Amino acid sequence: MAVTGGTSGRAMSWRQFRAILRKDIVMELRTKEMVTSMGLYALLTMVIYQVALSQSGTAFDPRLIAAGLLWLAFVFTSMLGLNRSLVHEKDQGCLEALLLSPVDRPVIFFAKATGNFIFLLIVEVLTIPVFGFLFLQGRGFGGQFWMIPAVLTAASLGIAGVGTLLATMSVNTTGKDFVLAVLFIPLMYPLLLAAVSATTAAVLGGPDAAAGFWAGMRMIGAYDAIMLLVAYGLYEFIIGA
Amino acid sequence: MPSATAIETAIEVRGLERTFGARKALADITLTLPRGAFLSVFGPNGAGKTTLVRVLTTLTPPSSGSARILGMDVVKDAVELRSRIGLISHNPLLYPDLTAEENLLFFAEMYGVQDPKDRVRELLASVELDHRRLDLVRTFSRGMLQRASICRALLHRPEVLFLDEPYSGLDPHAMDILDGLIDQIRSEHTFVMISHDLAKGLELCSHALILARGKVVMQAPRAELDDAAFAETYRSVVGMGVA
Amino acid sequence: MKNRVTGVLLVLGGVLTTVSFIVAFFVAGVPDFGTVTVANEVQTERSLIEIAAEGFKYGRPDWGQKIFYFHVPVALSSFLVFIFTAYYGARFLLSKNREFDTKARIATEVTLVFVVLTMITGVLWTKAAWDVWWEWEPRLTTYFIMTLLVIAYFVLRNSIDDEERRATYAAAFGILAFVDAPISFAITRLIPSTHPVIERGGLETPMLLSFLCGLFGMLMIGYAVYQVRVREEMLKERLESLKASLEG
Repeated sequence: MAVTGGTSGRAMSWRQFRAILRKDIVMELRTKEMVTSMGLYALLTMVIYQVALSQSGTAFDPRLIAAGLLWLAFVFTSMLGLNRSLVHEKDQGCLEALLLSPVDRPVIFFAKATGNFIFLLIVEVLTIPVFGFLFLQGRGFGGQFWMIPAVLTAASLGIAGVGTLLATMSVNTTGKDFVLAVLFIPLMYPLLLAAVSATTAAVLGGPDAAAGFWAGMRMIGAYDAIMLLVAYGLYEFIIGA
Repeated sequence: MPSATAIETAIEVRGLERTFGARKALADITLTLPRGAFLSVFGPNGAGKTTLVRVLTTLTPPSSGSARILGMDVVKDAVELRSRIGLISHNPLLYPDLTAEENLLFFAEMYGVQDPKDRVRELLASVELDHRRLDLVRTFSRGMLQRASICRALLHRPEVLFLDEPYSGLDPHAMDILDGLIDQIRSEHTFVMISHDLAKGLELCSHALILARGKVVMQAPRAELDDAAFAETYRSVVGMGVA
Repeated sequence: MKNRVTGVLLVLGGVLTTVSFIVAFFVAGVPDFGTVTVANEVQTERSLIEIAAEGFKYGRPDWGQKIFYFHVPVALSSFLVFIFTAYYGARFLLSKNREFDTKARIATEVTLVFVVLTMITGVLWTKAAWDVWWEWEPRLTTYFIMTLLVIAYFVLRNSIDDEERRATYAAAFGILAFVDAPISFAITRLIPSTHPVIERGGLETPMLLSFLCGLFGMLMIGYAVYQVRVREEMLKERLESLKASLEG
């Protein structure tokens, strides 16, 4: 090759991976579009939760449903972000320019998924204290704190990976966000169930907490491993179509 | 790796077909283009021009037949081939929320260009965009976008350039600049241009081709071309409409 | 040849399913489900109506439990047909041959019919077994998710204009959905929750016979319907391509 010099394939892929990721981060830092829209959306969900819980009385312990409420907020905000992240690529035909460059297709998948993972994690980390402040004051945290970041990381990995594949499809359909929701939620069901279970164990604590937490984590791990592998395998077909 | 014939031949297409179910986007396309040539592809909307360019730029695999560019197969050697071809489309293919320089540096990384900063500066200067290099692409006029887009396509010094209706949407001034740029790089590159504009396409080309309903209707080197007959064929084909 | 096989399978499937029903009502006992204990023998001298009436009167869900012989075969068949969605999806992705896309689509159509039947019988079953119309029991939940996945498959298809892209995306989603369904089932079972999990033991001979008749009958019907639909679609496509070649 005339211009590319002697860089090996793997070094080149790594360089491309970083370039795509850096570009997404620079664009996000400039427009703050994804994090603001996702953060605001999460905040709005909190208002809805307040309405939903307004008649539950003082005896009701919101910790029992805290994990469910949190993951519900994360699922909807993540769809918003995933959709945005691919619309950027599609807008001016940039995806085509990306595909024209000598890049292995999986590199695009990993770079986009990593970007989405980072943004999702940021929004989650911002949302949790707000949620705790609004709904869980004076209730105390039952489990061990490190469990929360562990669940967040593991489950967000699956959301970002599968979500990136689905968003790559839905961005080419007529009903973008609607189609994404229809594809995304049923596919995410097992992951969410496991994540809510593990998070609940962490929030409530108690003697069975560790067992419940690890049961959930194992299932999140299994889901991540299987679904990410399938998504990785399918991405090349999707992005070329 | 390029064989001996590839030194002379830039593009070699044999029995190329692109079908899905009953629909034939491209049917039995055969063409040979020597290095340094300029091929203009004419045809009505839906004739398969864009599909042809997509196949030649490795974006879409052919259903049957073969296409070799610089001796490399568009399917088997796709990744290597991509680093030696470029595309200038009517779409700028630049990120609106990045500056011109950031855009070009990004694509330089994707192509593994050496000394990307110097290369980007050099290119931006050559299209007189040096003073706007730190501005967001979002703020560019159509003509400036097209110039930046040309820089993007030339970053990695491609040997074959594909132009997909590069003149569409340009004002006369921008067209002049584009003319000048093509003229500058004409001698070192092989060109394939899709065009609606018969006069413009014929003015630039060394080879011409008319495509209709996925088939080659007429194909000839510019020197052997009877302009009147060519124009007549083109008009009759446009009347045929979409396949 | 294939035509006749399809016809024979359709008839045979119908007969087997009917036999399964009859066996279920007159011969086979009632399986024991979860917390609900029911009489192990059905007195065959009495009329079905009487049994049903008594069942309802004493809260004995004999009648409702019979749905088991229909519900489980349909559920299993739906999953077996769904395998074809993934199988032909994968073949399509590797070959880009439109025929495989058509086959995958029709397999998914048949899956949809079976999955909806599973849902309906499942709801009847929960009503009989636990006296509620809906229970988030792992199997039912999985089928609920599977219904949504199959519907999503068609929503996806309908929202893409370009034929090849539609086929590619549908194939990919079909494979994802097929992998997701068993994970759903595993996780709904393994996650500790407040919902019942049914442990099913072995079946006695008459029950097993009835069950197997139902299962094979359903599979035959499914296969026959699939074949008929495939043939119809293939003819349609041939017509289309003839039309296209006339124009060209």
